[in-house]
Amino acid sequence: MEDIRFECKGNHWRLSAGKAAFWEEERALIVADLHVGKAAHFRKAGIGVPANIVQDDLYRLQQLITKYNPARLIVVGDMFHSSENNEVQYFRIWRNQFPHIRFELVTGNHDIMDPAVYASLDVTLMESLTLGGMYFVHDPKDRLPDTGELYAVSGHIHPGVWMVGNGRQRLRLPCFYFGPEGAILPAFSAFTGTYCVEPDPSSEVFVIGGTGVYRV
Amino acid sequence: MKQTPGWQAIEQWLGAKGLAPFAFQEEAWEHYLQGRSGLVNAPTGFGKTFSLFLGTVIRWINENPEDYRRRTGNGLRLMWITPLRALAKDIGRAMEEALRELAVPWAVGIRSGDTPVSVREKQKRNMPEVLIITPESLHILLAQKEYPKRFEHLETIVADEWHELLGSKRGVMTELGISRLRGLRPGLRIWGISATIGNLDEALDVLLGNLPGERVIVRADVRKAIEVESILPDEIEKYPWAGHMGLRLLHKVIPVIMESNTTLLFTNTRGQSEIWYHQILKECPELAGAIALHHGSIDAELRIWVEEALHTGVLKLVVCTSSLDLGVDFRPVDTVIQVGSPKGVARFLQRAGRSGHRPDAVSRIWFLPTHSLELVEAAALKDAMAENLIESRMPVVLAFDVLLQYLMTLGVSEGFNPDEIKHEVQSTFCFREMTDEEWTWCLAFLVSGGEALQVYDEYHKLHLVGDRYYCTSKQQAMRHRLHIGTIVSDAMLKVRYLAGGYIGVIEEYFISRLTPGDSFRLSGHNLEFVMIKDMTVLVRKSKSKKSIVPSWNGGRMPLSANLGKMLRRKFHEAMSGKAREPEIAILQPLFELQQLLSHIPAENELLMEQIQTEDGYHLFVYPFEGRLVHEVMAMLLAWRISRRHPITFSIAMNDYGFELLSDQPIPVDDTNADELFSLENLNADLQSSVNATEMARRKFRDISVIAGLVFQGYPGKSKANRHLQSSASLLFKVFEDYDAQNILVRQAFNEAFFYQMEEARLREMLERIGNSKIVITFPQRLTPFCFPIKVDSLREELTSEKLEDRIKKMTLWQ
Repeated sequence: MEDIRFECKGNHWRLSAGKAAFWEEERALIVADLHVGKAAHFRKAGIGVPANIVQDDLYRLQQLITKYNPARLIVVGDMFHSSENNEVQYFRIWRNQFPHIRFELVTGNHDIMDPAVYASLDVTLMESLTLGGMYFVHDPKDRLPDTGELYAVSGHIHPGVWMVGNGRQRLRLPCFYFGPEGAILPAFSAFTGTYCVEPDPSSEVFVIGGTGVYRV
Repeated sequence: MKQTPGWQAIEQWLGAKGLAPFAFQEEAWEHYLQGRSGLVNAPTGFGKTFSLFLGTVIRWINENPEDYRRRTGNGLRLMWITPLRALAKDIGRAMEEALRELAVPWAVGIRSGDTPVSVREKQKRNMPEVLIITPESLHILLAQKEYPKRFEHLETIVADEWHELLGSKRGVMTELGISRLRGLRPGLRIWGISATIGNLDEALDVLLGNLPGERVIVRADVRKAIEVESILPDEIEKYPWAGHMGLRLLHKVIPVIMESNTTLLFTNTRGQSEIWYHQILKECPELAGAIALHHGSIDAELRIWVEEALHTGVLKLVVCTSSLDLGVDFRPVDTVIQVGSPKGVARFLQRAGRSGHRPDAVSRIWFLPTHSLELVEAAALKDAMAENLIESRMPVVLAFDVLLQYLMTLGVSEGFNPDEIKHEVQSTFCFREMTDEEWTWCLAFLVSGGEALQVYDEYHKLHLVGDRYYCTSKQQAMRHRLHIGTIVSDAMLKVRYLAGGYIGVIEEYFISRLTPGDSFRLSGHNLEFVMIKDMTVLVRKSKSKKSIVPSWNGGRMPLSANLGKMLRRKFHEAMSGKAREPEIAILQPLFELQQLLSHIPAENELLMEQIQTEDGYHLFVYPFEGRLVHEVMAMLLAWRISRRHPITFSIAMNDYGFELLSDQPIPVDDTNADELFSLENLNADLQSSVNATEMARRKFRDISVIAGLVFQGYPGKSKANRHLQSSASLLFKVFEDYDAQNILVRQAFNEAFFYQMEEARLREMLERIGNSKIVITFPQRLTPFCFPIKVDSLREELTSEKLEDRIKKMTLWQ
């Protein structure tokens, strides 16, 4: 998984094709929309989606943690998909590998489990997080009014963009989106779709294709 | 037989009206009374209903000669399967009238999505002797507890308009439903009624499956006189080369409408019908009140009103889509106009038959071309009709999505024994070649969610209790019952005026692209979008001159093989100057231009054109084989070229030819063109090319809904299930990545290619091309042949380039 270095409001971020960002100054790994428990939730309802997506997702997260050795993991919402199920138990075991890393969850609309469950998973809950000039909040709609002091970082949208080329070629790819009002991170889980945004002309967009990430 | 009391009663009844049975009706009664099953081949309007219905009445009278006038509450005897709810009422009415006059106190019931709950409950307790039902409603009956009780007396099943069901997944539903009823009632007689199609024998085999005993086809040898007339543009040089609206000929249509009693104007899409309606009204305001619109998105009540009004003759014109293809007679209709290609001989005949519905009347149909080359199609249609070259309907095979749904249906009612049901399922035509592995996979998919699993898994759908599988979750059972069926549509939203008043329904995806204040056209009204609330689109009347007409999905129908063949012949006749038809003669200037710019292929030639435009490098190929074949061929060619070196293609096609478009020169010339059509490795190349395209993904959309993977939600309750929402494309992605063995994914690949054409046909065609001379030209500008393909925006893609290389060549769309 390649990454690309990007200076974001004076901070140094590495944007990984693994759909995560590493903030060097804060040693924070940042992801959004993990949706742990989604496949199990579907399967519990009798919808036979593949059961092993979560293992893959968490293995990728593990690789990212090993690579960047972060001090904290910030999840910008929708860490878990729905009510507690056995994938959450799988996560519990997985979590034990990293007792030294602080897991912080800026809650999203899907994070509906009882606070005690998060506590037992050693995940700290917060509605938003302000850190080094950045304001983390799940839904871009909940950004603070722009005072020029804080730059918002969100998830929720599962952003993607259309790329076009000669010969009427089109390609739809997930992306990191740094717009004038804030940043939106790609959805981490493989069991998520993309929603195509119309990029603002002043925005910075990094698309993810296979194991590469490209500034466009 | 004719001496039996039942036969006598029917003869007397008809005789009293001064009528006598048609020969084919008597033939059908005879076969039926001998205990045979079969198929009646008769067009609408010739007493096809009575050919089977009265057979069952004769039998009943014969079996109860003394007291048939008194016996009521005899249980369900005859199940009449119909594809269209709208047909049920009229058929029921005709049956009731006959029964009343014959003094047979049978009840006739209707069971469809429109049947009120109270009537359904009554039917549950006391089944009518005759039940008219849609395939979906039959499955809903099978999803109810104690369903076997309701069929204890069933003797006969009739599948009406079987040609409509055959070739679709609704046909598979019918096959599976019949297999269960045969399991319950081994002596069932099964009959179908079909219009003429190319494969009547096969149609019979599909309906009956492996039913033992003699099977017959009864033909009503009646042929309707049909007159076809093309509406020709005055100056062909000024008529567009591409397009699908045809409004430029509006001024020539108006006199036809005015001179007729009642006209049906058929368009191929709903959007087109909205525009035609609007334009005709603008041109002839005096028609207001005497003109109506009829398509699938219009409020059902309004549609019924239009149908009634057609009966009584108060309407001068109805602009419609395939929504009026089927159905009962509208006697006042004396003229039919077809806008654009009907894409098939059978459909054209069916539409023509909507006029002059009396047995002796001549059906008149006008053909209006929407672009120049479509005129060739008119000539081809005429020839095909003259030769009675009617399409076959290819039956759907191994539709595992429908099987999964069916097994779940049995699971939510009485449960099922796997051995018994497997045996029944394999008795159908659709699943006769199902392997044991496939059956086991389907069962496992419902029981354990498919793959070998971790201990943690919480999947549950069906459970084995004793030797039967059941669904024990009430919630899942309820959800399943609401989702029985195989007609998949986009999420539809109701459209209502702010002040109240229902207008119709519209696809959610269309509305999602509008912003409040935008105007759009629906059901002939000009509407301003205000907001969406509670799954309803609220609108007000708009005065805006510019309004958007929704382009509904699924408007593009492929040309049938038969018409394709005829079309090729016509083109060759036209190009060699042999044709005499007015449609072809008028096109002469266009062909001359084609010859000037490029070439006109002779019968033993295949033309390819290489053209460079600002879009990139185009390769056009003209096999004249029809859209479906071209789709497959284009993929094959693209795949084979892409193996030589990394390249990406955008692919478009129409009924005449196809286009490969790339951002780099396409390496095809005299030296290597032949290899592209080689028969070597054909199968492997086809498989790989389909895997490399988006086509399968598109097919998966319906499959995932039918198999119950994508939950469409139901009105008012959508919120409770928001955590279960996903899209078919997302599911396709995760299945491809995580569970490639999934049978439903395989089915999507198969549907993408192998349904739409048999391999044999492709081989035949490649052989033909192998014996032809390939002519490659390099025109300086677009030719009349290539233009309609080039402007097509519905495109496929195939690539052999690395994703990274592609991204680097592209720019952000904004």
